[in-house]
Amino acid sequence: MKKVLVFLFIVLLMTVALPKVTITLWHAMSGSRLPAVEAIVNGFNATHPDIEVVAQFTGSYAETLTKAIAAYRANDQPHIVQVYEVGLQTMLDSGAIVPVYELAGPDFDWGDVIGPILEYYSVNGKLYSMPFNSSTAILYYNKDIFKAAGLDPNKPPTTFSELYEYGRKIVESGAAPGGISFGWPAWVFEQMHAYHAQFYANNENGRKAKATEVYFNKDFGIDVMAEWMKWAQDKVLVYGGREYSANQAFLSSQVAMLIQSTSSVGSIESKANFNVGTTFLPRIEGYPRGNSVIGGATLWVMKGHTQKEYEAIWEFLQYVMKTEVTMQWHKSTGYFPATNSAVKALLDEGWFVEHPNHLTAFLQILSGTRVPEAQGVRLGNFVAIRDVVDSAIEEALQYTGTNYKKEAKRILDNAAKKANTILEEYTMIYGK
Amino acid sequence: MQRRFPNKVLPYLLVSPSIVVVIIFLVIPTIQSLYMSFFRVSPFGDRLIFVKLYNFTKLFKSTDYVHSLLITLVFAAAVVALGITIGLLISVVLNQRLKGLNYYRTLFIWTYAISPAVAGTIWALMFDPSSGPIVYIIKTLFNVKLNWMMNGNLALVIVIIAASWKMLGYNIIFFLAGLQTIPEELLEAASIDGASSVRKFFKITLPLLSPTTFFLLIMNMLYAFFQVFGLIDIMTKGGPGNATEVLVYKLYRDGFINLDTGFASAQSVVLFVFVAILTALQFKYAERRVFYG
Repeated sequence: MKKVLVFLFIVLLMTVALPKVTITLWHAMSGSRLPAVEAIVNGFNATHPDIEVVAQFTGSYAETLTKAIAAYRANDQPHIVQVYEVGLQTMLDSGAIVPVYELAGPDFDWGDVIGPILEYYSVNGKLYSMPFNSSTAILYYNKDIFKAAGLDPNKPPTTFSELYEYGRKIVESGAAPGGISFGWPAWVFEQMHAYHAQFYANNENGRKAKATEVYFNKDFGIDVMAEWMKWAQDKVLVYGGREYSANQAFLSSQVAMLIQSTSSVGSIESKANFNVGTTFLPRIEGYPRGNSVIGGATLWVMKGHTQKEYEAIWEFLQYVMKTEVTMQWHKSTGYFPATNSAVKALLDEGWFVEHPNHLTAFLQILSGTRVPEAQGVRLGNFVAIRDVVDSAIEEALQYTGTNYKKEAKRILDNAAKKANTILEEYTMIYGK
Repeated sequence: MQRRFPNKVLPYLLVSPSIVVVIIFLVIPTIQSLYMSFFRVSPFGDRLIFVKLYNFTKLFKSTDYVHSLLITLVFAAAVVALGITIGLLISVVLNQRLKGLNYYRTLFIWTYAISPAVAGTIWALMFDPSSGPIVYIIKTLFNVKLNWMMNGNLALVIVIIAASWKMLGYNIIFFLAGLQTIPEELLEAASIDGASSVRKFFKITLPLLSPTTFFLLIMNMLYAFFQVFGLIDIMTKGGPGNATEVLVYKLYRDGFINLDTGFASAQSVVLFVFVAILTALQFKYAERRVFYG
C-alpha cells in the first residue's frame, strides 16, 4: 500500500514538474479531411505526454489566414497556421513567421521531401514552411458513362481536341447532360500554363524577383480560354463553382469528367456509385511539355512564442513528416505524402496496386518535365489575382457569340490589367 | 408634460452605458476606417503608407466598383419593392379572420428567424444546377435548364428572391401590427357609405399604414445594403463573374480575402456616406407622405 502511495506521489510530482506545453494549430481542413487531421494530432499527443497540440478548424483557407492575421495583430496568434499556396508571398513578406529551416537545424533530411513539393515551397533553396497537404490536378472520369456513350472506358482523352470530341459524344448520346466540369477553375488555368511550360508571370513566375506583370493574357492563355468557351457553349463544359462544388456534378453523373485536385480522390472513390477512372491532364497540341504544378497548403510557424514552445513545434512538424503518419494522411485524403520514404513504403505494401487512382497524380507530376515554368507561381497578393482570374473565367463561360479568341483576349486583357495593378500595389508596400 | 430630473448627473449616468457601447463599436471603428482609407496597408498591418486619396480615386476609376454599385442599386430596389408589396399583400390576407390563422402567421413569420447561412444553403440547394429540385421541376415542365452558375442575371434574380423571402417575416410582423391599429369604425363607416374593399384599402388602410410602410422602407433598404452578406456568401460568393457582387460583399472580399485594408476602408466610408444620403433623402421626401394620425 505504501509503495503504491509513493508511486502515485512520484507520478503526481512528475506531472507537476512537467507542465504540458500547449501548441495551437489552426487549419482549414473540413469534411473528410477533418478526422484525418485529428488522427494525426491525437497520435502525436498520445506519444508525447509533455506536449499537447490543440487543432482548431478555423474555416476556409481565406478565413483561416484572415483570422491568423487578426490574431497576430492582437498578439494572440496560434503557434502553427495552415496557409494555402497563394498566400506564400504574403507570408514570406509578413515578418510574422519563423522559417522552418531555422527551427530544423542542419541535421534534418530535407532531401527526403518529394522533389516538386520541395521546389515549389523553397525560397533560395530553403523551406520557410512545412509541406503538409500538397496536391496537383488530375482528370477524373466516369467509366460507366464512357461505356454508355460508346467510348472505350480504358482510353480517356489525352488532348484537348479528344476531350472535346468525347464530350460531344457523351452529350449527344445522352449518356450524361454534360461532358466535363472543373474544381478551382483559376487553379486549373494556372495548371495548364505550367503543364505546357508557359510562364504565368514575369521574373520566372515571380521566383527570381517579385513579379510585376502577368502573362496569362498571352497567346497560350487565350487559346486555353477560347477552347473552354467553345466547350461551354456546346454543353461539353459545365461550370461547377470555384472550389469543390463541381465534385457534386461529377458524383451525380451530371458530367462524365472532372478536373480536380488529387486530394478529392478519397472522397470521390468512396461516394461514387460508378467506376471512377483517373488519368493525366489533357494537353493542347503544339505547345511544349511542362509539368503539372503543386497546390494545397503548408504549415507556417508564427513569431512571438517561447523557445520551449518552438522546440515542441518542431517535434510536431517532424512527427507530421514521419513515414507512417504521412502515409496515413495520403491514404485517407489523396494528398501527396510529403516524403519519398513514404512513397516507397506505400509501394512496398501494395497500396497503389489496390488503389491505382491514388497513383495517377504521382506518375503525372514525377514524369513531367522539370522546367522553371512548372515550379510554381509566386505572386504578391496572389489571393486577389486568383479571384480576378476566377471572375474572368466565369465571365468568359457565359459568352454566347462565336468569336471565341477575340472575346477571350478582351476578357483576359482586362483581367491582366487588374492583376498588374494588384502586383504594382503589392510592390508599393514591400518594394521590388 | 416633460418632467426634469432633479439631479443633473443622473440622466447622463443612465445613458452612459449605451453611449459607451456606441463609441466603442460605432464611433471608433468609423474614425479608424476613415483614417485607414488614406493608407495602403500590408496584410499583417505592419506597414502603412500614406497615399492621400489614392484609394478613393482607384475606387471611382474601377469599373468593378461602378458595376458593383449598379448591381447594389438594382438589388436593393428589387428587394425593397418585393419585400414590401408581397409583405403587405400577405399581411392583409392574414389580417382576415381565417380558420387556423395563427398557424399561417407562424409559417409566414419564421423565415425571419432562420439564420442567413441556413437560408442561403436552402436556396442554393433548391437551385443547385445539377441536383436542385426547382431546377428539376422547371426542366420537366418547360424543358429549360436553369444554371445560375453560368448565368449572371439569373443568379442575381435568385439572390433577390432569396433575400426578399428572408425579410418577408419581418415585414409581415410589422404590417400585421400596423393593420391591427386601424380603427374598425373607420372601415365600418366607409362600408356603410358604400365604399368597395379596394377603395377602402387604398383610401383608408394604406394611408393609415404609412408610418409602418415608411419604417419598413428604411429597414428593408438597410437590410438590402448591409445585411445580405451571409446570404450571398453562402449562395454565390458574388459570382458568377461579378454578377452578384453587391457593395458590402465586395468590401468583404477586398478587406478580408484580398487583405487590402486601406481600399476596403475607403469602400466602407463611401458606402456609409451613400446610405446616409439615401436615408436623409427618404426622410426629406418620403416622410412628407407619411400620415401619423
